Amino acid sequence: MEVRLILGLAITAAAFTLAGMRVLTLYKLGRAGQPVEPDRLRQAGKRLWAVVTEVLGQRKLLQWSVPGVAHFAVFWGFLILGATLLEGYGALFDRDFHIPLIGTQAWLGFLEDLFTVAVLAGLAAFAIIRLRSTPQRQGRSSRFFGSHTAAAWVVLLMIFNVMWTLLLYRGAQINTGNFPFERGAFASEIVAGWLAPLGRGVNDVLETVGVVGSLGVVLAFLVIVVNSKHLHIFLAPFNVAFSRRPRGLGELLPVYSGGKPVNFEDPGEDDKIGRGAIEDFTWKGMLDFATCTECGRCQSQCPAWNTGKPLSPKLLIMSLRDHALAKGPYLLADSEEERAKLPRNVLAEAGRPLVGLPEAGGVIDPDVLWSCVTCGACVEQCPVDIEHVDHIVDMRRYQVLIESSFPPEAQTMLRNLERAGDPWGRGAKARLEWMSGLGFEVRVLGEERIPDDVEYLLWVGCAGSLDDNAKKTTRALAQLLDEAGVSFMVLGGEERCTGDPARRLGQELLFQELAQRNVEVLNTVGAKKIVVTCAHCFNSLANEYPQVGGVYEVVHHTQLLSMLVAQGRLVPARPVDATVTYHDPCYLGRHNRIFSPPREILGSVPGLTFNEMPRNKETSFCCGAGGARMWMEESIGTRINETRTDEALGTGADVVAAACPYCIVMLTDGVASRKSQGKAADHVQVVDVSQLLLQSVREEANPAG
Amino acid sequence: MKIVVLVKQVPDSGAERNLRPDDNTVDRSSANNVINEMDEYAIEEALRLQEAHGGEVTILTMGPERASESIRKALSMGPDGAVHVLDNALSGTDALGTSRVLAAALQRINPDVVLCGAESTDAGGQVLPHMLAERLGIAALTGARKLTVEGSQLTIERQTEEGYEVVTAATPAVVSVWDTINEPRYPSFKGIMAAKKKPVETLSLADLGVSAEQVGWTGALTGVASHSKRPPRSAGQKVADSGEGGVQLVEFLTNEKFV
Repeated sequence: MEVRLILGLAITAAAFTLAGMRVLTLYKLGRAGQPVEPDRLRQAGKRLWAVVTEVLGQRKLLQWSVPGVAHFAVFWGFLILGATLLEGYGALFDRDFHIPLIGTQAWLGFLEDLFTVAVLAGLAAFAIIRLRSTPQRQGRSSRFFGSHTAAAWVVLLMIFNVMWTLLLYRGAQINTGNFPFERGAFASEIVAGWLAPLGRGVNDVLETVGVVGSLGVVLAFLVIVVNSKHLHIFLAPFNVAFSRRPRGLGELLPVYSGGKPVNFEDPGEDDKIGRGAIEDFTWKGMLDFATCTECGRCQSQCPAWNTGKPLSPKLLIMSLRDHALAKGPYLLADSEEERAKLPRNVLAEAGRPLVGLPEAGGVIDPDVLWSCVTCGACVEQCPVDIEHVDHIVDMRRYQVLIESSFPPEAQTMLRNLERAGDPWGRGAKARLEWMSGLGFEVRVLGEERIPDDVEYLLWVGCAGSLDDNAKKTTRALAQLLDEAGVSFMVLGGEERCTGDPARRLGQELLFQELAQRNVEVLNTVGAKKIVVTCAHCFNSLANEYPQVGGVYEVVHHTQLLSMLVAQGRLVPARPVDATVTYHDPCYLGRHNRIFSPPREILGSVPGLTFNEMPRNKETSFCCGAGGARMWMEESIGTRINETRTDEALGTGADVVAAACPYCIVMLTDGVASRKSQGKAADHVQVVDVSQLLLQSVREEANPAG
Repeated sequence: MKIVVLVKQVPDSGAERNLRPDDNTVDRSSANNVINEMDEYAIEEALRLQEAHGGEVTILTMGPERASESIRKALSMGPDGAVHVLDNALSGTDALGTSRVLAAALQRINPDVVLCGAESTDAGGQVLPHMLAERLGIAALTGARKLTVEGSQLTIERQTEEGYEVVTAATPAVVSVWDTINEPRYPSFKGIMAAKKKPVETLSLADLGVSAEQVGWTGALTGVASHSKRPPRSAGQKVADSGEGGVQLVEFLTNEKFV
């Protein structure tokens, strides 16, 4: 017994010292980051609920059924088997130890054994998954491509070791009469049956070896975990608790420095604009990096990665983490003298630019940074709520605002926004062109306020007023509203770009200027209810304008139209004989959870056959235009829009419907290029959902135009 | 090297522009006023010269009060300071008068190189660089698509309709540039903030020793007699391919000097 106790306590002390030192370093490194945005520390109830559902309930993991269930088993195994840890430590002091009150009840023994077996089954599933989708075989399409696969196998092996040593000493305990449970521990009883023939003496030894061995394995695992990518065991609950709620999608946060929003009209001398160095990230950013467990769910969904571009959200987060750890000693040094004494490799790491070409030693390649379409598929998938898109935009902000370094094509768009208020540079007057020849008068606001008899302000948007395809959508919506007797008005030449492309590019200053100007106009005219056809405008108006004092009831046109159909104010009577698929715009679907209204509209049209694409709703695949990518060249890998077009054509669709002008531009291009290659039928067209509805509502067979 | 860049504020060429019916001048009240686009290329070229050879870059603008917005914008790209010639008597000044005023201002600064856009997008006269060089008695290197400096020798590739000419001159000289010369930088936030604190010297006609009679409406030797709207665009020419369509296209493109 003394051997057991001394050995057990000695290895515990050693492991806790080693792990504690590491944890302290990691903690200090996290605190080297900036303070967080104050909202992260509010709404404790919501945050607790997120931990309950996402950590205890494993909500996001269970979206993938097989690995989800396996992880559920292992996760709950760790919690339940905490009881065996208690029993193990108890057995160091008292060979016949059991947990007070409940410690001998059969259900506890059963539960412990059940989860031991469940963890073993989970491990087997993980092993099979890893063997089947190994990067060696699957290359880039493996979600583990670029992950530390050897370390992952070590982790699986260590958990396996914990499980078999546990069963070993529990079996031996049964044979030596020191087991707390008379009944229930079915797996331990089987092992006891195997060990019984070895005799009492051997079982005595096995019991001690097993107890100390099991604790030793657990402690070794602890040390490994805090030194590996497996830190998520401890960090995930915190990362989930402090992440943006309900999710890190929708609006972008304003530029924060030192935990306070930057006032762009009068910025502080030391204000940090975006992220230009690893220590510019907040401690929550650092926590994100440390929590990533390299599972690759993000990578498997990323449109950039899946079309051969260098961006993988997983690899991006891993690069930032590795850089933070390697630069750590430099960041934590107390003085310049101490810094000068650091090893050369640490100093070299500290000298690397956060974003830069490989020749310059950049941590993140510019091609990685500018490949992101901000579609949010990564954030949607991440089981530990890492906020990839926010980090990417924050790095872009530094590149644009401080370094003036970004793809030169985007400069045209920015200049057009600055000069003309729209990305095409057409100017205010052109915003009235779309309404000519409609057959009824569209009311354009002069300098007065919106009259009481007008229910909706129609926010036309730049594309909706200037792009030929999007103009058809605007016209269709106007005709449908007119048909349904909904009174609406437009701002005409007073409208400007909402600033979405500028903000996603990282040009926050320009976004602030445009947003403040638009909010001033909207507030002056007394706008309350706004209907909008562009998913990007929708996101800015609904989610981002409250940041600059503009709070309105914003609806997407698909929401309004589906409501009008439901109310019987629009009656789709004429059959539309077509097979239709629907593409979820990222900024309507994933970012704003509007999945049903467009489908309801399509469902209301008689004669129409609706086929869903394999990737839809939450897992929809971007058209390639988000994140200001609409205004940049796509020169690396294959084209995102063509990939999505192929998926749409694969449903046998005659008509590809979408609900955002950007998506329609990209898919129209995609279909045109497939037509020219003979891979799409000539009659295939890309339209907005509203155009199909108009076709069905109107008497004559005259499509919107 | 002391460099001065001439910057003019013009109505945005992307938007619709009108002439005022009363005095035939550009209606600037309704227009979105911006830096003349070609001047941004001149600023960029000046900054590149500064980066390579050191020295100081100064913006020189003649214009009304609101031109100060364009001056700040120009400074946000990186120049060190600006001179703003501001005088109510300047209203109505023609190209000759402008060159008189700017020449007087340039004599005060005494630069090695004067850079400017080859033309402005409002008047489009392309005459100012030559007038300035004449008044200052220095060389004019105009229409550059490339500029190199060796010691005090300036060499440009002068863009012509057929190709380019290589022209050299010693400093001081006036160099005007086309938009083929470089890609202007996008002002950074730091640059915008710094521009707010940069010195802008305001000079009146009296400061420059130019009499009000020599400029403005009274001093103008040229004037716009009348104006009319541009006729609507005529329909293009359609080439139907009956065997020699490609030849017709090539002939069109070469005749119009597109290729």
